[in-house]
Amino acid sequence: MPMAATAADAAVWTAGKRRLPLLLSLIGLAAAFTLPAAAASADYQPTERFFVNDFAGVISSSDAEEIYALGAELQEKTGAQVVAVTVPTTGGEDIRQYGLDLGRDWGIGQEDEDNGVLLLLVTEDRQVSIEVGYGLEGALNDAKTGRILDTYATPDFAEGAYSSGMRKAYRALVNEVYIEYGLDPVDDDYVPDSPEEEGGGQNVLAALPFVLFLALFAFTMVRSRTRGGPPFIFFGGPRGGGGFHGGGGGFGGGGGGFHGGGGSFGGGGSSRGF
Amino acid sequence: MKEFDYLMKKSKGILLGVLGALALVVILVVVWGISAYNGLVNAEQRVHTQESNIETQLQRRSDLIPNLVNTVKGYAAHEEEIFTALAEARAKLSGASSLEEMDEADSELSSALNRLMVIVENYPDLKADQNFIGLQDELAGTENRIAQARRDYNEAVQEYNGKVRRFPSNLIAGMFGFEQADLFESDEGASSVPEVSF
Repeated sequence: MPMAATAADAAVWTAGKRRLPLLLSLIGLAAAFTLPAAAASADYQPTERFFVNDFAGVISSSDAEEIYALGAELQEKTGAQVVAVTVPTTGGEDIRQYGLDLGRDWGIGQEDEDNGVLLLLVTEDRQVSIEVGYGLEGALNDAKTGRILDTYATPDFAEGAYSSGMRKAYRALVNEVYIEYGLDPVDDDYVPDSPEEEGGGQNVLAALPFVLFLALFAFTMVRSRTRGGPPFIFFGGPRGGGGFHGGGGGFGGGGGGFHGGGGSFGGGGSSRGF
Repeated sequence: MKEFDYLMKKSKGILLGVLGALALVVILVVVWGISAYNGLVNAEQRVHTQESNIETQLQRRSDLIPNLVNTVKGYAAHEEEIFTALAEARAKLSGASSLEEMDEADSELSSALNRLMVIVENYPDLKADQNFIGLQDELAGTENRIAQARRDYNEAVQEYNGKVRRFPSNLIAGMFGFEQADLFESDEGASSVPEVSF
């Protein structure tokens, strides 16, 4: 009520009475444009088993159990979230773009840490990608995610063994995140992907823009938080207002469930066809 | 007389009521104006942040080139022309003083990189080199980040321009001289480089 009175009052105040009908219709237009826009990758909502979402139906139940257990334990120990998703097709969209939007929509990772990772398999398009949240881009750089795909995922995928490829790549990602957090990987014999081979002296310089970028991002997050609006705890995603898809059904499936923490993504990661 | 007193009192009450309502309206307008102003400042700041984000990613991409060139030289040292083109594009990019100039230099860099990738097809050993594969992933990832940074920038600009143009915040924008920001029109065009034929 106070806002409406103010708006009408302001209208009279500046524009004069003869333009009032026009201004009133403008208010209507403005209201129409404030409605949240639908996101492209919102076709899929996270399942109750947040860490494994097998929309393409290719992951065996035992592999799904293993992935879920690994993901749940990782989140409890580190707060980071690694999420496996399979879909039949992106509908022609670039897999990296699709994955990034999905990661943001689901809010994978913690909001302040952006420590989410998405392992996305698109079966009919025969493509796989790893999307890395801002906070883990240092630990899981693009070259490393590419090598993880080459080593653990695509050899199995090429033979149609989607389930085992997903499990192996997921394990590798979980191991890498544990190492990043200074913890022991789940597999004792896991050989961490060495960052040294990127070749010496350039590394420090090459990291500089990345550090700047992180600082800028942190700054953006702080600024955007000061813009007000409710904190997005259950429905993540930085696009304020756009997050309430599907009504109020998202409270982790009735207690104890896992859900996105509001982490965001900026395009880190890599993809492979197979 | 009594009736007169009663009327006086009544009209006084009405007058006070009207004055109070007016004061309330003024206060509401001022409070709204402050929040609209702050909203504009924040939206404008977000545009600037996203703009620097694009610049950072363009720079990051440029910084990957020396490593890439060194790796390629190990297999194809005689492809001098392409190395020169890459170096020139890089120099132009680091000398750019605005986002527009930077973006232009980046287009040149893109086209040189595309030609490099065509050349690479002739060197199977290079294509299988782990270092090269890693650098290619970094390049692709950075291009992905640039594309996303541009989309995020455009989103920020649209939000900001919306506030500048839309009623009623446009009143505040006009009063304090907030002007519309430019969208990235080359959104898709800059990243799609014409095919090179031989």
